Amino acid sequence: MTFPVEDRQGFSVVLLNGEIDLNNSPDARKVILNNLKKKHHVMVDLSDVAYIDSSGVASLVEGFQYARTNDLEFGLVGVSEAAMSVLRLARLDQVFTIYASLDERLEDGG
Amino acid sequence: MPDQQVMEETVAEHSVRPSDLPAPPKDAIRIVQACSRPGVDSRDLAHLVANDPVLTAELLRISNSAYFGLVSQVKSVSRAVTVLGNRALRNLMLCLSMRDALRSDAIPGFNIDVYWEDALRRAVSARMLAELASLDPEECFTAGLLQDFGLLVLLFINPEQVEHWDRLAASTPGDRRDIEIDLFHSTHDEVGLTLANSWDLPQDLAFAMGYHHDGPPEETDSQTRMLCKVATCADWMASVYRCADKRVAIQQVRALLAENFDASPEHSDYLLQQVAESVAEAATAMGMRVGEQQTFDQVLREANLRLAEENLSYQELTWRLEQALGERDRYAAELNRELELAREVQKSLLPDAGTKLAGITGLNLSAKAVSGDFFDYYRVGENKMAFCLADVSGKGMNAALLMAKTASLFRCLGKGIHDPGKLLAMINREIFETSVRGMFVTMLAGVVDQASGEVILASAGHLPAVHMGCAALIAEYPAEAPPLGISPDSIFPNNTFELQGGCLYLYTDGLLEARMEDGSRLERDGLIRVLKEHASILLDDRPLAITDSVVGTDRVLEDDLTLMIIEGTK
Repeated sequence: MTFPVEDRQGFSVVLLNGEIDLNNSPDARKVILNNLKKKHHVMVDLSDVAYIDSSGVASLVEGFQYARTNDLEFGLVGVSEAAMSVLRLARLDQVFTIYASLDERLEDGG
Repeated sequence: MPDQQVMEETVAEHSVRPSDLPAPPKDAIRIVQACSRPGVDSRDLAHLVANDPVLTAELLRISNSAYFGLVSQVKSVSRAVTVLGNRALRNLMLCLSMRDALRSDAIPGFNIDVYWEDALRRAVSARMLAELASLDPEECFTAGLLQDFGLLVLLFINPEQVEHWDRLAASTPGDRRDIEIDLFHSTHDEVGLTLANSWDLPQDLAFAMGYHHDGPPEETDSQTRMLCKVATCADWMASVYRCADKRVAIQQVRALLAENFDASPEHSDYLLQQVAESVAEAATAMGMRVGEQQTFDQVLREANLRLAEENLSYQELTWRLEQALGERDRYAAELNRELELAREVQKSLLPDAGTKLAGITGLNLSAKAVSGDFFDYYRVGENKMAFCLADVSGKGMNAALLMAKTASLFRCLGKGIHDPGKLLAMINREIFETSVRGMFVTMLAGVVDQASGEVILASAGHLPAVHMGCAALIAEYPAEAPPLGISPDSIFPNNTFELQGGCLYLYTDGLLEARMEDGSRLERDGLIRVLKEHASILLDDRPLAITDSVVGTDRVLEDDLTLMIIEGTK
């Protein structure tokens, strides 16, 4: 499946949705990395994610690591409760920069 | 027409800036813009064209060409402007200006004619689709000719990548964009849109350049949307004559034309046949040079779709099939042998009956031949044992290899470092330096003093360890630090507590997410319930009893499942 990407205020916003598991995490990985390789700052919107497994989390981690080594911004926005509980349990909320929405990031000014 | 605001909002800041772009051919662009002005006088247009003798000659040649087939001979610019009309004049001028935007030697070591030959195939494909799409044929021709211009610009900006042209040319439209991202950090459609805006090209054509892969924004009008679809189909039709995997390209063309225009496979093939026959004629009209064209029959033969016409006998086909199946079976057997060896190596990393220690037990079940989970324990003093349980993200061979590395690090470093938090920090730095593809490891590490029942436990992003009394939950110990391999400087705090005659359960998500008979997942509450139910079973028999009660004895696992139990002194 393909996940939509929206260009907003200098960010590529990747909209993940549904269940992010072994079946579709390669697609999530591809869309996140392709946008980072284009030197775009990336925000991943997780508001419509009902479930995410460790392969889905690995796609986010890879995006985070690529952004860090290439001096790009990478963050998560609007994280759904289902996704947040997974991130909290693994203490990945300490790792990712998480915003309630893209507007919050824009007001925050980075 | 797309609305200007939509247009501006959809142009992101891409890696190619307008200042990187080749300069627009000003005279032609001026005519293009004049054509788009409502109520423009045809005499003014004729005057603008006549000012440029090269454009005049080109316009007259195209107007009289067999390919564009105007009804009467056109001998003057003013007549051409009248006969063509503003929009057709605009399109012709656009084609000519883009053709001349980069001189033939503008990109060192690259023959631009090769690119234009490919662009012409897209143009004639799009023109043929015009009727099916109820669009203007010349408009479609122009969109087809311009849609991949961004690739030429990318090569112009990055001439050092010209050596990859053959790889780009041999790939299908979808794969080509992935290669572009790796080579240029951008794609031809993005650059096309940037260039179209920078040169102030008409918006419908700009959208065809920018949105023939991902589709236009929702607010786009239906005619422009259809032009983008035509460009998508034209891209694949042209690739039939260029890419290495012609079978895939032909099948994709059939699928796209069926989906968008209800075309039968025969109709698709007929149109593809026409592409080869029209390219030379269109090239003459446009003043371009093309090489000898492959016919569609030759393409089909290359795609090996006409096996039946190759006069292969039934016996020979059967023989070939048997050979292929035999080869497949040999590879499968070889792969299975390799997997079996990998499985044996993995098993050697887990504690076995020979290393059995009192008061601790574990079980590892893998969903595939090899596992990404592991557990381990060993003595670190007269009464003390070091233990760990871990889960590598992902499944299969890459997870198994990282698991082997982590298990080895735990064994090697743990012999000298008896502080679980410090040990995890050390393993974390080692894994971080070599971690690939976002892989990480969640891990619990601890030391238990079997005389006093004291446990020191540290967690790297792992699921909470569960401390159970005889029949009730005493405490849970969730992670206070992220998994291994993500951040080099993570700190892993230690938790110290007494087992008080209870048991400490460590497990991986394969247990929590295991599906029970009714199809629901076990989850945390289910786990606590199952642990209570099995609390009185002998320690060494308990892991298997617990997993059997959750996933059944036939064990069709979605994920690796590992469980470890540490018992306090009674």
